[in-house]
Amino acid sequence: MATVTLRNARKSFGSVNIIKGVDLDIADGEFCVFVGPSGCGKSTLLRMIAGLEDITSGSLQIGGREMADVEPADRGVAMVFQSYALYPHMTVRENVGFGLKMTGHSKADIEKRTERAASMLQLGPLMDRKPSQLSGGQRQRVAIGRAIVREPDVFLFDEPLSNLDAALRVQMRIEIGKLHNDLKSTMIYVTHDQVEAMTMADKIVVLHGGIIEQVGSPLELYHRPRNMFVAGFIGSPKMNFIPVTVQAARDGNVMLSLPGDGRMTIPMKGDLPAAGTRLTLGCRPEHVAIGKEAAASGALQGTIRVAEYLGSETMFYASLADGTEIAVKGDGLAAQKSGDILPLSLPAAACHLFDAQSNAILNGDLTR
Amino acid sequence: MFPTPIARTAPWVQRIYKWLLPVALVLWLLPLIGIAVTSIRPSSDLAAGNYFGWPSGFNFIENYSTVFENSNIGWYILNSFKVTIPTVVGAVGLSCLTGYALAVYKFRSNLIVFFMFVAGNFVPFQILAIPVRNLTLSLGMYNTTTGLVMFHVAFQTGFCTLFMRNFIKGLPFALIESARVEGVSEWKIFWHIVMPLMRPAIAALSVLIFTFIWNDYFWATVMAQSADVRPVTAGMNELKGQWKVAWELIAAASIIAALPPVAMFFLMQKHFIAGLTLGATKG
Ligand SMILES: Nc1ncnc2c1ncn2[C@@H]1O[C@H](COP(=O)(O)OP(=O)(O)OP(=O)(O)O)[C@@H](O)[C@H]1O
Ligand SMILES: [Mg+2]
Repeated sequence: MATVTLRNARKSFGSVNIIKGVDLDIADGEFCVFVGPSGCGKSTLLRMIAGLEDITSGSLQIGGREMADVEPADRGVAMVFQSYALYPHMTVRENVGFGLKMTGHSKADIEKRTERAASMLQLGPLMDRKPSQLSGGQRQRVAIGRAIVREPDVFLFDEPLSNLDAALRVQMRIEIGKLHNDLKSTMIYVTHDQVEAMTMADKIVVLHGGIIEQVGSPLELYHRPRNMFVAGFIGSPKMNFIPVTVQAARDGNVMLSLPGDGRMTIPMKGDLPAAGTRLTLGCRPEHVAIGKEAAASGALQGTIRVAEYLGSETMFYASLADGTEIAVKGDGLAAQKSGDILPLSLPAAACHLFDAQSNAILNGDLTR
Repeated sequence: MFPTPIARTAPWVQRIYKWLLPVALVLWLLPLIGIAVTSIRPSSDLAAGNYFGWPSGFNFIENYSTVFENSNIGWYILNSFKVTIPTVVGAVGLSCLTGYALAVYKFRSNLIVFFMFVAGNFVPFQILAIPVRNLTLSLGMYNTTTGLVMFHVAFQTGFCTLFMRNFIKGLPFALIESARVEGVSEWKIFWHIVMPLMRPAIAALSVLIFTFIWNDYFWATVMAQSADVRPVTAGMNELKGQWKVAWELIAAASIIAALPPVAMFFLMQKHFIAGLTLGATKG
């Protein structure tokens, strides 16, 4: 069991800075997920924690112990690679026990741990097969089994499910979750998949260009994004961003003019922006209201470009008066079609406001 | 698919192919056929100038047994094995190590060292003949099997290193990293993970090097003089005779000398072809 702490950790390859100062605390037993666009340094950060990449500067502690000069093997971590990295010439049993055998564990001990991992992951009938005779999901389980037998303090997963088909992903996701419940060890998990991140994580770390944009629980990130990057990255389909101008601001309210002729008022805490300030308003597709009450408010109108009828819901992609594209999630029975004018309204409680320059959030905390 | 399989081309192309292929094959094999036919001619044929015509008789048993009676070809073949096998073991074994180091470890002069191994292959070995001979003389290794083996190993290691390094580079590096995280020492990673995966490369390279060294004539004549040491390629000279060249015997001896590598090729054909293409594609 161990905590993981990064302090101003940096990594450069030659003169290229990849990780540009990361501060992060991962508590003992926490399930921490790294997300971010491709190339933002998720794998690099994970490999730094594993000890496969040196840390250029800054510090990394695992279980309170400084890791700068500690070999990967002595860090108490186990890593599951995206490619699984199973030894192709060994059977499943040998694969799982190999690390233990090479580090001088007794035969009885190896057998005991292998059996336990096998029963935990239902590998029993596969033990004498070679990796080439396994399906993707089975290989995945073997890779996890190989990590489990080492009884590490920290598990590291680098996109472990990305090679699997959708159904298997759901199943493996649940299994990894169960595993976390059983073992209660710290787990760090890199993924591209929103759903994985939202469902598995205690804590999500959003990385972008080698820095952390925000750290928080899944719902925190969803409802209280710190800036436009996080707001746009978390959630699918993406949050809508609409350019607005402040008309007036007083008594904790700001009045905004929307594209077209619409207006709306949003309650806001703290310093109010001056009249005339340009801001960006963020509202998730599922929060945009359509239909009668929207028509009554008369705030916004969009022309439907594409309508996707998914049965359970309908996705409309519409453009506003100034050309801004907006996605709206309607219910499955919505009958509007492409070319129709769609009256829209934005519930004040579901709106985020972002400063157009700094992207910092000015308002919008749906968890209040 | 490219190129289009012959079976799926137009009929006239297939017909031409069927005719041309045997013709090309015979042309290609003509020298070999010549040697094979010469090796069973009676010597009177050659004296009469019947080099390429139908043999006047078939002296298969006579010619081949004369080779064994008139020369120490058995001994020379043994010499060839004594040179070839240690060379194969030495060069392939060494290059497993050098190839692994160059493929897996990042150190500053990695590329320079690698290029030196590669560049060695571009030095025409003929210009090395005199320095190498002098060096072997002063090392006391002239005219010894050890000397031949040592120099063959030295000359072959460059190519072998190139081959092995590229092969290991092609293995998934995550295997090595995964073992490192598991706490497996570097030697054990080499021995238990990389070596087993290198087996096809080792087989392919061994077959290639075996044929290279077995067929070597140049160094065999430069570095060895006595019949005690000479491998079969150089030893065959003995059959030349004092006054006239007994071509039929030389031809028979050539065929005998060529048997081990040919046998090796047919036994390990799969690996041999793998060897040629491994080197070609993993560059
Ligand atoms: N060994 C290396 N040498 C130089 N640059 C590297 C090296 N490894 C990674 N990089 C660079 O570092 C950046 C981050 O890479 P990394 O693999 O961490 O991205 P990632 O966030 O895991 O992306 P993905 O989601 O696509 O896996 C990339 O721009 C990559 O080109
Ligand atoms: Mg990655």
